[in-house]
Amino acid sequence: MHTFYNFVSGPLAWVAFILFFGGSIYRIASMLKLVAEKERFIFSYMSWRYSLRSILHWIIPFATVNWRRQPVLTVVTFTFHLCLLATPIFLLSHVVLWDEAFNVSWWTLPDAVADVMTIIVILGAVYFLVRRVTQPEVKFVTSASDFVILTIVAAPFITGFLAYHQWLSYPLMMCLHVLAGDILLAAMPFTRLSHMLFSPFTRAYMGSEFGKVRHARDW
Amino acid sequence: MKTVTRIALSLAIGIVLAITSAWSQDDMTIVDNAAFDNPQRTPSVFVHDAHNEAAGIDDCAECHHVYEDGKRLEDESSEDQSCSECHDLKGSGGQPSLIKAFHTSCKGCHQAQKKGPIMCGECHIK
Repeated sequence: MHTFYNFVSGPLAWVAFILFFGGSIYRIASMLKLVAEKERFIFSYMSWRYSLRSILHWIIPFATVNWRRQPVLTVVTFTFHLCLLATPIFLLSHVVLWDEAFNVSWWTLPDAVADVMTIIVILGAVYFLVRRVTQPEVKFVTSASDFVILTIVAAPFITGFLAYHQWLSYPLMMCLHVLAGDILLAAMPFTRLSHMLFSPFTRAYMGSEFGKVRHARDW
Repeated sequence: MKTVTRIALSLAIGIVLAITSAWSQDDMTIVDNAAFDNPQRTPSVFVHDAHNEAAGIDDCAECHHVYEDGKRLEDESSEDQSCSECHDLKGSGGQPSLIKAFHTSCKGCHQAQKKGPIMCGECHIK
C-alpha cells in the first residue's frame, strides 16, 4: 500500500499538476486563437467595463434576476463552489505536505471547520445529482458524462472525509483519496469542469454584447 | 463506610496510582504534544522502546540530535531535552518548526528505510 501511496502522491501527482496547469494554459490559448481566427469582430465590442460589471453581478449571490428566481440553487451553488475550492487549498494536512515537499506553507483551516466544509461539498454534489435527475429543464441537457464529472468532483471529498475519520480501511481510503485528487486535477481542463477556466470569458463576452450592442443588462 | 471498605478502597486507589505513574515513566507510547496550543490531530502513536528495538536503533542521537550553526554534532545527543526546546512552533531559517521536525524525523526515516508508517492517520490514530 505504501508503494502505491508513494506512486499516487509522487510521480502521478506531478503528471496531474502538469496536466492541470499545462492543460489550462493550452485550453485558454487555443480558445483565444480560435476567436482571433473566426470571430475577430467580437473585439469591436469587447469592453472591460461591461465585462467586469457582468462578472461582478454574477459572482455575488442574489445580485442577478436568475439568482433571485432560484434561491435554493443559489445558496447551494455558492457554498458548494466556495467549499470546493477553499477546503483542499487551506486544509492543514495538505499544507503540511506542501511544506515537507517544497518548503512553502500558508494559513490553514481548523480541521473541524474543514470537516464541515467537506460535508457541504458532498451534500452539494447530492443536490446537483438529484436536480439532474428530477428537474425536466436540467434533465433535458444532461448526458452520461455529467454524472461522470459529478463523481470525479465528489470522489476526493468522499474518500477524504472517510480517510480523515479513519472509517473503513484507512490506508486504502488514503490511497484512493490521493488517486481521486489526481484524476480531478487532470480532468479539469479537458472536461466541462473547464467552466472554472472559461466562465470569466463567457461572462465577459455576454456582458460586453449586452452592454455595448444591445444596450441592456445581462443580470 | 465500614473500616474494611475504607482500607480496601484506599489500597485500590494507591495501587492504581502507583501502577499508572510507573507506566508514564517507563513506557512512552505517544509523542508528547503539550507544546501545541490547539492540536488538530491526536498525538502520534510512538512506543519508544519497542520501536527502537524493532528498528535496531542503539544510538540516542539518531533522533535526539544536536545541531550547531546548521551542522550536526557527531558525538552529542539531546535526550535530556524536549524537542520543543529547540524546535518552536514557527520554525526559522534552517531550523524546522516542531510539526515539521516530527514529520521529517519520523516519516523521513520511514521513507528512507521503506519501513514504518508514512500516511497521516497511521500515526495520528483517531
